Parts: sequence; structure tokens; C-alpha cells
Amino acid sequence: MPQPLMELFPTTLRLVLERIPAFARESLEEIRIRENRALEISYGSTYSFVREDGTLTEHYKEAFVASQEQCRALLERVTNHSIYAVEEELRRGYVTVPGGHRIGLAGRTILDKGIVSHLRDIAGFNVRIARARIGFGSEVLPGLLDFKARTIRHTLIVSPPQQGKTTLIRDLARCLSSGEWHHPAARDWGSRKVGIVDERSEIAASERGVPTFDLGPRSDVLDACPKAEGIMMMLRSLSPEVIVADEIGRPEDAEAIYEAIHAGVRVLATAHATNLSDVLARPVLAKLAEDGVFDCYVFLSRAGKKVEHRIVTAEEAMHEKSRRYSRTIGATPRDAPSPIHPKLPITSAVAPTPTQVTVKARQMPVIRSPNGDGLRGFEDA
Amino acid sequence: MLKFAGIILVLFAGTMIGFLQAARFAARPRQIRGLLHALQRLETEISYGQTHLPEALMRISGMVPYPLSDLFANISKSLMKDSAESGETVRECWERAINAHWPETAMKKGEKEAMLRLGSTLGRSGREDQLKHIRLTTLQLQVEESAARDDQNRYEKLSRSLGMLGAALVVILII
Repeated sequence: MPQPLMELFPTTLRLVLERIPAFARESLEEIRIRENRALEISYGSTYSFVREDGTLTEHYKEAFVASQEQCRALLERVTNHSIYAVEEELRRGYVTVPGGHRIGLAGRTILDKGIVSHLRDIAGFNVRIARARIGFGSEVLPGLLDFKARTIRHTLIVSPPQQGKTTLIRDLARCLSSGEWHHPAARDWGSRKVGIVDERSEIAASERGVPTFDLGPRSDVLDACPKAEGIMMMLRSLSPEVIVADEIGRPEDAEAIYEAIHAGVRVLATAHATNLSDVLARPVLAKLAEDGVFDCYVFLSRAGKKVEHRIVTAEEAMHEKSRRYSRTIGATPRDAPSPIHPKLPITSAVAPTPTQVTVKARQMPVIRSPNGDGLRGFEDA
Repeated sequence: MLKFAGIILVLFAGTMIGFLQAARFAARPRQIRGLLHALQRLETEISYGQTHLPEALMRISGMVPYPLSDLFANISKSLMKDSAESGETVRECWERAINAHWPETAMKKGEKEAMLRLGSTLGRSGREDQLKHIRLTTLQLQVEESAARDDQNRYEKLSRSLGMLGAALVVILII
């Protein structure tokens, strides 16, 4: 576990965490601190509670319990004693600390005109430990290359939380900007200018604008910038060849991505979803997928300590999609008995978003019939 | 001869005590003013700069005069380094520093309490709330400042002459 991270914890908590066994410390992923409840850690895709002397236990009743005072001190320390300076982050429910570690917060939300304006009485912390895994990208990158354009294809990395999306995208960005393509045919391609829009400060973990993770020599980072605006800013002035963005999902993100792909820039993005049908069930992602924005999808899944990846090209994805649509609920008669929650408006999950995204459809190649009739007919029309 | 030297010594000591007392009366409103300036600066740092508290306090310590500059520098340092003995929350650091530095200043209990109250809320809430607390403390300090000025007008000259006259009285009594 990195030392700067430990300095965030109040002394009493730190003494407990420093004594957890080495095997757990090596593969530590999350530390979960909940006020007046058991201290939990998760490591190597399993979890344990921690006793006061640092040993691990399965039973939460024996575990160390964090007091209110300790939680207050922890909150002060992760916000650098300045909650007023991280109000925007609190509204989104997390704080990023030096080193790129993200701390998710749970508490009571304060609403202002129906929108979350603040989080107070914070009593739950989820400390997610960020790790650079150099070499992860080298396994995936060869499958993503576009040999005609001598660069990377538009790629969406998909996985549920905690499977290493951010770690992968970080290493891919490093590979691209340092020209390590890991493919024999790509040896003389050179490197690419990479623009990283790092809304959550997780990819680069910038400190005063300088990335603390290794992102290669030719990368520019817009730290803490909203993705949609950041992509536009990148296009306007930083002339990137590849744009990297984490966790897209809002309509304005999609709009910015359309701008980017039509500006001759390659897009590398991540999204939360388990599999392809999840991607197609999320309104914004479904729209992007239908328009064929992404040339390939990388699905991450995890078995034990090892992260498996599967690369699916857009054609395969569309094929899978058509199979899926043949059994959608929308295709059955309206009065047909539905096995699950008949009263819920299930179709709303795939309904288009209120903000309509207007995009030019991609031009399709004209289909020529053998005697040239097709082309002439097209011109007459 | 020895007697004469003693008389001089007593007179000198009495006068000095009087002058010191007068200087404290004169210094109190000045230092409160210094605190008010510091709070005004803090307000700016919080509302416009969104500077983090340790850094804001360090900047403030650079612009206020001596006893206060030490106070703010001390708080800022104990917030930046991590040590259990100097306290882990703003409130602990703040209280410890104020208790340690207050005897160096000419300020009294009223100001101290206002500052301690501010310390227990600083850094713990959103921007609007912070500004409200700072303004409240400013108001309290302003009241204390006008009281301190009254005291200065009334007692500064008085304590100066009282010191010398008291010494003279002692001399007369001894002789």
C-alpha cells in the first residue's frame, strides 16, 4: 500500500491498517470505513473485516469499529481540511486524493430544487486504491489496431466497476503516447498525441496540473474537466490524435464524441456495463453503438486475481444485438402476460433521452448491381 | 549612596511596569485589527480562491504582524504535517495553537473565545457556511475592538503615570 495514502488516515485507524497481513496489503483494492460499523477491506476480489490488531476475520462482530471522531478526522484529512474547496466533488459523491485514489462518500444529501447540492453527515468512506499496471495495455492493444490508418480504432472499454477499466485505459494511453504498439507490423508507426480528459482525476492523478502516473511523453491532461467540454477544448486547441475519456454516459458526452470522431480524432473511452446487452440498454451508449461510432469493444471480466479481456468488433456486436432484439419485450403483444413486474414501464429503459442528439448518419457505400443498374437508378431518384 | 541607588532602582522599575501596562493597552486594539485583517483575507481565500485551509493560513501568516503571524504559521504547519500530538482536526490544531500563543499577545478572553469558536467550524462545511461563520467572528471582534479602544483611551496614560507615582509612594514609605 502506498505510503502517502496511509498518511490520510487518522493515527488510530492507521495503526490498525498498517498491521494487516502482507498478502492482503499487496493486493488491497478497497478500504471501507463506516461510522460505528465494522472496518472492511477488499483485496484480490474477496473481502474481510479487520480486527483491532490488524488480523483479518470473517465475522463482522469481532472487527474494529470506527468511531464518529475518527470518521470526522478522516473526512477532514481527505479534503485537506477544506470541505468548502471540494463542494463540487461532494455533490458527485467522491473526492480524489493525491496518487489518484478515489474516495467514495456516503452520507445525507441536501437537495436544492430537486438537485443534490451538498453531502453532509458523511459516515461512509470507500477508499479505492489506484495502481498503475504497466503491461496491461500490451495484451489488449494489438487487438485494437487499425492497420489502414496506422493508429488505434475507436474503442469502448466496458466492464462493471472494479475490474480495471481505468487501469487499462491509463496503460493504453501510455502505450499510444510513447509509441509502444506491441505489434510487429506497427513497429514504424511512431507515437500519437494523446489528449486525456480526466474528469475524476483518476487516469492521470494530476497534482497541480502535472500527471503523477506515467502517461508517456506525448500526452496532455485536462484535469477535473467535464468530459463534454473537455473534449471540445481538446479539439479546439490541443490537436490530439487520440482522445481518452473515462466513464462516458451522459448525452452531452455522446455529442462531444460525435464531434471528435468527425474531426479525425480517435476516441478511447470506458463505460460501466456488464456485457453488450447492458451497453445497448443504456440510452446514450445504445445510440453511440447504433450509429457505429465504436469500431470495437473490450469487455473486461475478472477471475480471481487475473483480469480477462475480450475484444468484440462492431460487426460482431451488431450481430449479437440483432439476436437480442428478437426477444425484446417490445416485440411481444402488449396484452401478453409478462413474467416480470407487469406494471413497470420496462420499455423506458431503452427509450431515447430527452436531449436528442442530432448526428449525420454515416454515408453508406452505394451498392452496385453487376450491370450498373443500381447506380443509375440511384441517380434518377 | 546605597540608599540613593535603591531609590533610583525602585522608581525605574515602577515606571517600566507602568509603561509596559500602557503598551499592552495600546497593543490590544492594534492586534484585534490585525486579526480582523487576517479574517478578511481568509474570507477572500475561501470565497474566490478556494484555497485549501493550510495554504490559506500560511499566506495569512505572511501578511500579519509578529505575534499573530506565529500563531497562523503554527496552525498551518500542524495541519500540513501529520502527527498525532499536534491534533488531527482543524479544531484540535487551532485550539492548541491559540492556547499556546495567546499569552504572547495583548488580547484578552473575549477575543480568544471568538477565535476558538471559529476554529471549531473552520473547514468543516460548505463555502457559504464558512463565510457566515467568519463574518460572525468579525462582528464579535469588532465589538471587542471598540471596547479595547475605550480601555486604551481611559487607561493608557493612567497606567503610565500610576506606575511612576506608585514607585514614588513606595520610595516615600521606605524612607
